[in-house]
Amino acid sequence: MSIRSLLGLDTRAERYTYGLDPVAGYVSTQKIPDRWVATTCGYCSVGCGMFVGVKDGRAVSVRGNPDHPVNRGNLCPKGLSEHHTIDASNRARQPLLKRDGRFTPIGWDTALTTMAEAFRRVQAEHGPDSVGVISTGQLVTEEFYALGKLVQLGLGTRSFDGNTTLCMSTAVAGYKGSFGSDGPPGAYEDLERADVILLIGANIADNHPILCRRLQANPGTTLIVVDPRVTKTAMMADLHLPIRPRADLALLNGLIHIIIERGLVDHDYVDRHTTGFDALKESVREYTPARVAETTGLDPGLLYETAAIYSTANAAFIAWTMGVNHSTKGTETVNAINNLALITGNIGRAGAAPFSITGQCNAMGTREAGFASSLPGYRKFESAEDREALAGIWNVPVERVPAARGLAYPDIIEAALERRIRALWIIATNPVVSFPNLGALTQALEGLDFLVVQDGFHPTPTSEFADLVLPAAIWGEKEGTYTNSERRVSKVNRAVEPPGEARPDFNIFLDVASALGVKEELFPGWSVPRDAFEEWKRVSAGRLCDYSGMTYEVIEEQGGIQWPYPAGATDPAATRRLYTDGVFQTADGRARLIPVTWEPFPEQPTGEFPLVLNTGRTVEHWHTRTKTANVPILERLSPHAWAEMNPRDARGLHLKAQDSVDIVSRRGRIRDIELRVTETVAPGQIFVPFHYAEANANQVTQSAFDPVSREPNYKQSAVRVERSCPSGGLGASLWRRSERP
Amino acid sequence: MSLPLLTRTNSADARFVLTPRVRALGPSVAERMPGRVPGAGEQYRFHFDMGRCIGCKSCVVACNEQNGNPAAINWRRVDEIEGGWFPNTTRAYLSMGCNHCVDPTCLSGCPVDAYTKDAATGIVRHSADTCIGCQYCTWNCSYGVPQYNPERGVVGKCDMCHGRLEHGQAPACVAACPEGAIAIEIVKTADWRAAVAAAVPGLGVAVSDGSLSTTRVTMPATLPPNSRPLHLTNVRPAEPHWPLVVMTVLTQLSVGAFASIWLLQLLGGSAHLGAAALTALLVAGLALNASTLHLGRPIHAYRALKMWKRSWLSREVLLFTMFSGVAALYSAVLWFDVPGGVILGGLTSTIGIAGVTASACIYRVVSRPAWNTPYTLLQFNVTAAVLGPLLAAAVNATLGAGIGEGAGAGVGDDLGGNVGDASVRWLALAAAAMAGAQLVLIALRFFRLIAAGRIELQGTARLLSTTLRPHFVVRGVLLALGGIVLPLLAQGALLLWAALVVALAGEIVGRYLFFVSVVPKHMATPYLELGSEAA
Repeated sequence: MSIRSLLGLDTRAERYTYGLDPVAGYVSTQKIPDRWVATTCGYCSVGCGMFVGVKDGRAVSVRGNPDHPVNRGNLCPKGLSEHHTIDASNRARQPLLKRDGRFTPIGWDTALTTMAEAFRRVQAEHGPDSVGVISTGQLVTEEFYALGKLVQLGLGTRSFDGNTTLCMSTAVAGYKGSFGSDGPPGAYEDLERADVILLIGANIADNHPILCRRLQANPGTTLIVVDPRVTKTAMMADLHLPIRPRADLALLNGLIHIIIERGLVDHDYVDRHTTGFDALKESVREYTPARVAETTGLDPGLLYETAAIYSTANAAFIAWTMGVNHSTKGTETVNAINNLALITGNIGRAGAAPFSITGQCNAMGTREAGFASSLPGYRKFESAEDREALAGIWNVPVERVPAARGLAYPDIIEAALERRIRALWIIATNPVVSFPNLGALTQALEGLDFLVVQDGFHPTPTSEFADLVLPAAIWGEKEGTYTNSERRVSKVNRAVEPPGEARPDFNIFLDVASALGVKEELFPGWSVPRDAFEEWKRVSAGRLCDYSGMTYEVIEEQGGIQWPYPAGATDPAATRRLYTDGVFQTADGRARLIPVTWEPFPEQPTGEFPLVLNTGRTVEHWHTRTKTANVPILERLSPHAWAEMNPRDARGLHLKAQDSVDIVSRRGRIRDIELRVTETVAPGQIFVPFHYAEANANQVTQSAFDPVSREPNYKQSAVRVERSCPSGGLGASLWRRSERP
Repeated sequence: MSLPLLTRTNSADARFVLTPRVRALGPSVAERMPGRVPGAGEQYRFHFDMGRCIGCKSCVVACNEQNGNPAAINWRRVDEIEGGWFPNTTRAYLSMGCNHCVDPTCLSGCPVDAYTKDAATGIVRHSADTCIGCQYCTWNCSYGVPQYNPERGVVGKCDMCHGRLEHGQAPACVAACPEGAIAIEIVKTADWRAAVAAAVPGLGVAVSDGSLSTTRVTMPATLPPNSRPLHLTNVRPAEPHWPLVVMTVLTQLSVGAFASIWLLQLLGGSAHLGAAALTALLVAGLALNASTLHLGRPIHAYRALKMWKRSWLSREVLLFTMFSGVAALYSAVLWFDVPGGVILGGLTSTIGIAGVTASACIYRVVSRPAWNTPYTLLQFNVTAAVLGPLLAAAVNATLGAGIGEGAGAGVGDDLGGNVGDASVRWLALAAAAMAGAQLVLIALRFFRLIAAGRIELQGTARLLSTTLRPHFVVRGVLLALGGIVLPLLAQGALLLWAALVVALAGEIVGRYLFFVSVVPKHMATPYLELGSEAA
C-alpha cells in the first residue's frame, strides 16, 4: 500500500467509476468492453446464450442474450461470473514435462514428439489398446469428433471413453434400450406446456436454475418431485415424494402396476407403437401398492394419487438427472421411466416426453459425435452397414472402423490397475476429484508408464499425477458448437486469446495427429473447427441427429437450432421433438417396453456404517471447481464443503451445527467437514456436495457400476460420522470433552 | 394451463385431483420497474418476493459485477431460513440490498455527513469523497448494509443502481433475478410510516429500529412455526479492530486515572498527583493517536468532529478532544501546584466519563446484539475504575518510595509519605473492588448469552466457549490477578506496576473479545419476528 492510500488521500476512485455501455447500460467502468462476442455458456447443458465483453484483449464482463430462446437473457451465478474463469491464476500456460519428479517447461514440438513416442512405444510393447484416452463433455463437438477419429483410427486404441460416463451414459443406455437410439425426445418448451411434470432425482433449482424459470411460466402445471432429500426443487413441488434412497425403480414399477390395474393405460398408443406390453404387465404384477409403499416409504394413497395425476394428464413430462443416473440400476430405471411414458402415450407431443436433463455443456455433442458408446451419428459398432457408411465418408478401409465398443471409463481405470493399460491421455476432466473410490483411482494413475493430462488448468489434483501436461484453451478462447439437453446446437466463439502457449484442444488434436503421422489421412486440409463441422454434417446426414441443414451462420442467427435439421429444412426456429410420428429407431420402428426389476442398493447400512451418504451439487459451483474455485465471488458464496444431517441423528451423535466431523466408509475418510443440521435430509441419511477436492466425497464412495452404462453408483454409500480430532487447541478439546455425556 | 383433467379416467373416482399451488407467472424486467419517477412525498423502494426466490444468488453476483466490487464486499446478500420437519421442510431465502430507510441510521450516525437521502428518489447515497472510513455506519445500520472496503479506506453501499435508474435501466439485481423476485416500486412515505406505525399486517417490513426500512417483502404463504435462520454459516471471530481495542481501553484508563487523582485531591491529596496526572495525560495522547489508525483515511480525522449534534462518534471524538485539553490544563495546575485544581479536576473527570459513555453508546446498535446491552456501558466504566486507580497508585508508590530512599530516613517519615502510603492503599483497594465487580459483570453477561433465545447471542456464547475459550479464560485470570490479587498483596511500587500491567493486559484481551465475539444480526431475523407477531 502506498503512503497516499495509508493516509487516505488515495481512495482508488479511478477503479470505482461508472460509465454508460451502449448495451449493458450504466455500469462499473471496469466492466465496459470494447466489443461483445456472442457465445454459449460453457458450464451446464441448459445451454444459455450470452455475450462476453472484451476490453484490451481481456474478458471483463458477460451478459445474457435477451434474444436467446433458451434463457431469454437470464444467467445463473456461474454464468454471470464466467469471464473470471479465463483470468484464473491457475491456468496452464506451457507444456510441462515431469523430470525427476518436477515439472519442467518444454516446447510444443518436444511435447508432441514425446507424447507420440511414448504412446507408440507402449502400444508396440503391450498392444494397441494399452493406451487409454479419457475425454470429456467440455469440448466442442468439432473437437470431440476430431478426437474420436484421432483415437480410434489414428492412435488405433479402443480404450476410449469420456467423463460423460460419470453422468449421462445411463440416459444413453436407457434411451437406446427403449427407443433404439440415444436422443432426448422432448424440448424445454415442454416444461411450459405439460400439465404434469414429474422430476425424478433432479434438483433443478440448484443445478439448472435457468430451467426453473420455465416452471414459473406454467402456473397451472402439477409439479411432482421424487427425491429422498427435501431439495429446493422439492420445496417448489405440489407433491413431493420423499422416497427411500434408490427406491425410484420400485416406485416407477409400482406406478405402472397401478396404471395397468386401474385401466389407465393408453392402449391405442401401446398397440400401435410399442412391443413387450404383456411381459411388462407380468413383470410389474408383484409391485403391488402395499409392497411398493414398504420399499419406498411412501403412503399407498400417495402412490395412487401420483399414478392418477400422471396417467390422466393431457401432457405429462418426466425429467431426471443424477438421482437416477448415478446408480447400479440406472439404465433399468431409465427404461422404467420410458415404460411409464410409453404406456400412457406421453411421448412425441408438446409437453409430453421422458427427458434426460444432461450434465455438461456439450455432453450431448459427445453422444452424437460418438466413438465411445456408439459410432458417430448414433451408428452402431455392430452394424456392418454403419461401419461401411463411415468408411466411405472417411475414405478408409472398413477394417479400420472398430466393430465393437472398447473399454468404458471405469473399465479403463480397472485395466490400468491391472497394468493392461500402461499409458493414459486425460483431456479436460479431473478424475482425482470426480471418480469414485479415490484410493483405487490414484493407485491406477500411479501405476501408469505415461500419463498425459491436457487441461486449461494446472495444477489440478489430476495434473499433479501427469508426466506431461498440455495447456489447453478453455471456453471463451475457442470456437465450435455445443449441443444442449434439448438437442439445440449452439455456437461457441473465441472472445480472447488463450494464455501463454496454450492452444485450443482442436489444434492440439491436429498437432498430435501430425506427430503420429496421420494428419493428412484423417484430417486432410483441416485447420479450423469449421472443417470438422463440414465433415460432421456429412456424417450426421440422414441420421436421427441430422445437422446437414445447419451452418454456423444460421445457428448463430437463430440462437441455436435443434436437431434433426436435415438439408433443405426451412424453419430453424421451430421447436422440435423426436418420435412425433410414433416411429422409433428400432428395427421394427416400435418402442420396446422393457421389464425391469428393483433391487436394494449394493452397500446397505450396517451397525458400523449406519448412515446412507448421498452426494450432489450446489448452485455456486461446477463439477470439481477447477473453474469455480478461481471465481472469487463464487468461492465467497460457497467457500467450503459441508455435510447435512437430520437433527435427530445429530442429537444421537451429540453433534451440533458447525461441528467439524469426519465421514468414514469402508474405503476412506472425508476429514474435517462442517456439519449442518437440517430437516432437509431424512434421519439415517447424510448429504455432502461433491465439488470440493479438499473434502473429496469420492474418498468414501464405492466402486460399483451400472452393468450396461458403466456409470458409477455415487449415491448410497454406507458411512458413519465421527467428530473430527480437535484442532482448536486445549480449550476446544476441553469444551468438546465436556459436551460428551 | 388448466388443472390436469381426468380426461381418461374411466372410473368415477375423482379423489386424486390435486390443486396445484398457484405459481404466478414471473414478471418481465419491465413489469418489475415502476415506469415513472416518484412524485412529491414518494420514493423508490425494493420489493422482494420471498416465495419466488430459489436462493440462486444471481443477484449477489450481478451486484458485484455491476459495481466492480471485490468478492468480499456484497452490497446485496442472501440469507436462508428453514422451518418444518422432514419431509415437510421449508426453506426460504431473503435477498437484501439497501433498504433505503425513511430515517436512515447510517445517515444520522455518520460523523462526517457522508450520507444523503436523495430528495427526488429517496435513495440513500454515500459519498466516498466525504467518508473517512470510521466504519460506524457498518454497525449502526440495523441491516448490515454499508460495508467497509479496505482497499479504498472508505465504506460503500447499495445505491439502488441510482445511475441505472437515471438512465431508465433496471438495477442489476432486478435485471439478473431469473425468478423475477426483485422489483422496484414507488411508495408514499407518509402512508408507509402510518401503516408501519399502525402495524398493519402483511406489510412485509422488518422493524429493527426507528429507521423505517422501505423494503417490502412478500413472505411465503406459509412458513412453519419453527422457522429460524439457518446455520449462521459464519460463526467465526469478527474483526478485532485493534486500534479501537487500544483506544477504548487507554481512554478509559486515562479517565479512570484522572478521576482517581481528582478524588485524592478532594480527600486531602497525595504529594505526587502532578506526576500521576502527566502519566495519565500521556496515556490519553496515545489513545487518541491510536484511534486515528482505525480510520481508513486518517488524514481526514478532523472531519469526525463535524456532526456532534447527532452522531455518537462525533460526540466521542469531541468529548475526548475536550477531555485531553482540560486534562492537560489540570495536569499543569497540579504539576506547578497552582490553586484552582479541584474545579479543573472535576471538569476533567466529568468530560472524561461523558466520553466513555459516548464510546459505549457507539456500540449500542441493533445490528450487534451482543453489544446492544447495558453491560457495554457498565463494563466500559468499570474498566476505567479498575485501571485508573492502579495507575495513580503505581505512580504514587514509585515516587513515594523514590523520595523516601533518596532523601534519607528522616524525610521518609514525614506526613506526605504517610498520606502517600494511605492513598496507595486506598487506591489499590478501590481497584480490587472494581475488578471484583468487573468479574461479576463478565459472569452475568456470559450467563445471559448462554440463556439467550436469540441465535446471534447463542453464537457469541458459542464463540466464547469454543474458539475463543482460551482467550476468555486468560481474560478472567489476568483480571483476577492484576485487578485483585496483586493490588491486595501490593507492598511496593514494583508490584503495583505489575498489577497495572497485568490488569491492563486483561482489559485489552477483554476488549479484543468484545470485538471478535460479536455475531452480527442474521439478516432474516426481523422478518421471522414479524412472522411470529403476525401469527
